[in-house]
Parts: sequence; C-alpha cells; structure tokens
Amino acid sequence: MIEFKDVSLVYPNGTEGLKKINTTIKDGEFVVIVGLSGAGKSTFIRSINRLVTPTSGSLQVDGEDILNYRSGNLRKLRTKVGMIFQNYNLVKRSNVLKNVLAGRLGHTGTLRSILNLYKKEDISLAYESLKRVNIDEKIYNRADELSGGQQQRVSIARVLTQKPKYILADEPVASLDPPTSHQVMTYLKKINKEDNITTIVNLHFIDMAMEYADRIIGMRAGEVVFDGPVSEVSEKTFEEIYGRSIREDDLRGGADES
Amino acid sequence: METYSLPPKPKNSLYKKLKMIIITLLVIALYVWTFVSIDIDWGRAIERAANNFQRVIPKLFSPDWTATGEVALSMLETVFIAFAGSLMAAILAVPLAFLAAHNMMGGKIFSTIGKWILSAVRAFPDLILAILFVVAVGPNAFAGVLAIAIGSTGMLGKMFSEIIESIDMEVVQAMEANGANKIQILFYAVMPQIIPEFLSFAIYRFEVDIRASSILGIVGAGGIGTMIIFASNNRNWNEMGTILLAIIIVVTIIDFASSRIRNKIV
Repeated sequence: MIEFKDVSLVYPNGTEGLKKINTTIKDGEFVVIVGLSGAGKSTFIRSINRLVTPTSGSLQVDGEDILNYRSGNLRKLRTKVGMIFQNYNLVKRSNVLKNVLAGRLGHTGTLRSILNLYKKEDISLAYESLKRVNIDEKIYNRADELSGGQQQRVSIARVLTQKPKYILADEPVASLDPPTSHQVMTYLKKINKEDNITTIVNLHFIDMAMEYADRIIGMRAGEVVFDGPVSEVSEKTFEEIYGRSIREDDLRGGADES
Repeated sequence: METYSLPPKPKNSLYKKLKMIIITLLVIALYVWTFVSIDIDWGRAIERAANNFQRVIPKLFSPDWTATGEVALSMLETVFIAFAGSLMAAILAVPLAFLAAHNMMGGKIFSTIGKWILSAVRAFPDLILAILFVVAVGPNAFAGVLAIAIGSTGMLGKMFSEIIESIDMEVVQAMEANGANKIQILFYAVMPQIIPEFLSFAIYRFEVDIRASSILGIVGAGGIGTMIIFASNNRNWNEMGTILLAIIIVVTIIDFASSRIRNKIV
C-alpha cells in the first residue's frame, strides 16, 4: 500500500512539483495518472521510488515513511519498486540477457554481479520473463538491434526479473506507435492481474487510460484534481483535468489494430 | 515547375559591418607584424637551400642499407617506448578522468580539481618531460617511457572524462531505480558505454606516441631519435635516409592498423 499524506515537492528553482497530495493506492490496483505535460505526473511517480525527494509531508510504502530513507534503505525500497521509462533505458551495447539480468542487481551481491556469476534460478527467471513478453528469441541480440516496442518489452522483462511488488511506468508508450503502444499496455495489464503487482502508469492519452486503468488520478499544476474508478470517468472529467476541450492528439487510437 | 526565389537575407547593421572590417584589419596586421619581426633573410635561405639540396637530398634517397639492422632495432625500441608509455597513460588516465567528469563523483569540487590536474599535466611539452626524466632516471628508454606516459595522460584523461560526461545518464538512473549499488552501476551502466571509446582513444594515442617517441632520443631518452641526432651531427645523410624510411614505414603501418581496429570497436 502506498499512502501520500500532504506530500509537497518544491524544486530548488522554486517550481512546485507537487502540492499537498493526499491519496492512497491499494495493493493490486492498476492506476493510470493523466494530465498535461508539466502537471506533475512524473514527479508523483518518481517520489515513490525516491528518484526525486518530496520536501514535506509523509509518503508511506508498506507502512514505512520512505522520505527519510538513506542509501541502504533506499536500495531495499527500490528492489521492490520496479520502473519502466519512456526511453526504455537499456544498455544499448549489452545483449538482451545482460540487460534483463540487471533487474536482479538489487538482489545480487556486488562481487557475484561483477563476475557475472548469477544463480541458476536468476538466469531461468530472466529467461522466463523474456518468454512472458514474447521476446525470448532475441535473448542474445544486442539491445540496439531491437525496435522500440521490442526494447520496451525487454525493459518490462527487466522489471519482472526484479520480482517487484510495485511497478511504476513513466510514459511507457510515448515513443511508440499505436499498435505497439497497445501491445505494451496489454502486457503491463496482464502482469498486474497475473502477479498481483500494483501498477502505476503515467499516460497522456485519454483513450488508453480509459481502456486499461482500474482507477484514474487526474493531475493539474501539481495537484490531484480527480481521483476515482474508471467507471466514473467521462469526457467531461478529462476536460476538467486538462482545463480545456479534448483534442485529436489527446487520443492514441489504434485500439482495433492490436 | 515553378521556381522560387529566396526571401532577401537580413541586412547586416552598420555596426556589424564595421566590426568585421576592424577584425579583418587586425588579423592582417598581426600576420604582417609577425613576419616582419622574425626577420627572415630570404636571399640567404634560398641560396643555402639550393646548395644543400644538391648535397643532402640525393643522399637521403640512397639509404645506407648496411645500417638496416641497427635502425630496425632502434625503431623497435621506439615502438616499445610508445606502447609501454601509452599503456601506462591509458591506465593512469582512467581514475583522473572519473575524478574530472562532472557526472561521476557527485560534486563540482572534485571535477574542478580533476580538470586542473589534467590541464597542469597537459601544459608540459613531451620534450621537456623527456629532459626532466633523463635527468631523473638517466639517459635510457625508461626515461622515454615515462615522458610519453605523463605526456599522454593529460590528453587521454581529458578525452576519457569527456566520454564519461557524454554517457546516457538515464541508463544509470534505470539501474539506480532497480536497487543497484554504485559499483554495480559502474559495471553495468557506465562501463559498457565507455569502454569501446576508451580503447579507441588509447589506440589513437598510441599512434600519436609513435611519432612523439621517435624524436625523444634527441634529448637522450632512447629510441630512434638517438640515431637521428648522431647521423645529423656526422652529416651522414645516407644513414638518415634509412632512418626516415624506417619511421615512415612503421608510422604508416600503425596508422593503418589503428584505424582498422578503431573502426571495428566503436
């Protein structure tokens, strides 16, 4: 369970990233955060694994306030919170297997990982993860030989190999075309259901948010302006979140093609 | 087909034009001043060149083949000096580069100190370093190795630190986000991104060092330079021909091999 209590974040240059956020995310939920760019979606998600540090309030993950965590605790927190990025962030010159095994780093001793002495279970877990996102035949390819969608699947496999309790996905489909976007979202949803991993995804496409989310949190200017199950959401809700009428480019489209 | 004419270029202001003219005049004045003040006696220079051309150049082109063995040995020594020196430099440069790269040690203070050290090292010309080391360790090849090593460390350290600064930090962040510690991040996110470029620059520096080490012998730091200075003092232009031939062949081969290898790794 993740609990935001009066969480605010002011960047050193004075920009307010988050303003008094209060919300609770229950285990197993699939939450989509929507909002225009600059609304604070990234800051919200990155607070949870402390890639950014809120400046006030309390943020509890599994009942512990993570805001005063230091290096040791922080690494422990991060091993149970996996993250997926817009630009996949794979090591391009390393092969797929090595990239996926990097998901085990938090669970593996320094010496073991440097010498590439992974446990048999870890290697088989990595392979299983690749199979689950259907990219196992590329296991020995270099990451830069793959297409964008394939790279994003590898990064999902990396997160799976981490065996996290939570998955954070920061605009995971923003660099992909519509069919590939749906494929990636389908995998995320499937993993959320099958492994009961709480998943929080940042999206700015309305139709995708509606299709995959259990619950939608709308943000504007660092504040939560909507929070509710997807059944309560209508086009009107999005117009309120965005503070303007809905346009063509707020939609990803292509749902039929997947 | 319709032809388009480009819209008129924005007009330069008078101030800009004036600035251009003044800068051009200043540059020309600078050149005139330098050439006038070095005071070249063109008549004498041409006369001398014409005389010596007759005497020296033909001899350079008829190399003294009896010296081949000796020249080859000392050329080999030159290559060894360059190799040992650039290897030492490549190793020494790594920690300095990490210190100087602003995205590694997490502090502007470290990176500034690192950059200062590297600039200070770079300020010494190779020959000056060679003279210092000849005094310190005696007139032998080891002095040459040290001179090359220190001389190359400055340049390689700067190059390496720029490579480190250009890596994709988002990959580093991805590793941080899955709980990796600093050493794991170094091995998994940083090293795969920098090693090919590091090797490429180290090999390129070896190429440069071959040329540098062939003249170090002039101040007694070993290698083929020693033979150059003797041949020139004895006016032995035939032997000088052999030496030049050896240098040209070796440098060409190594340039060629080095660019082939570097293309392969990056």
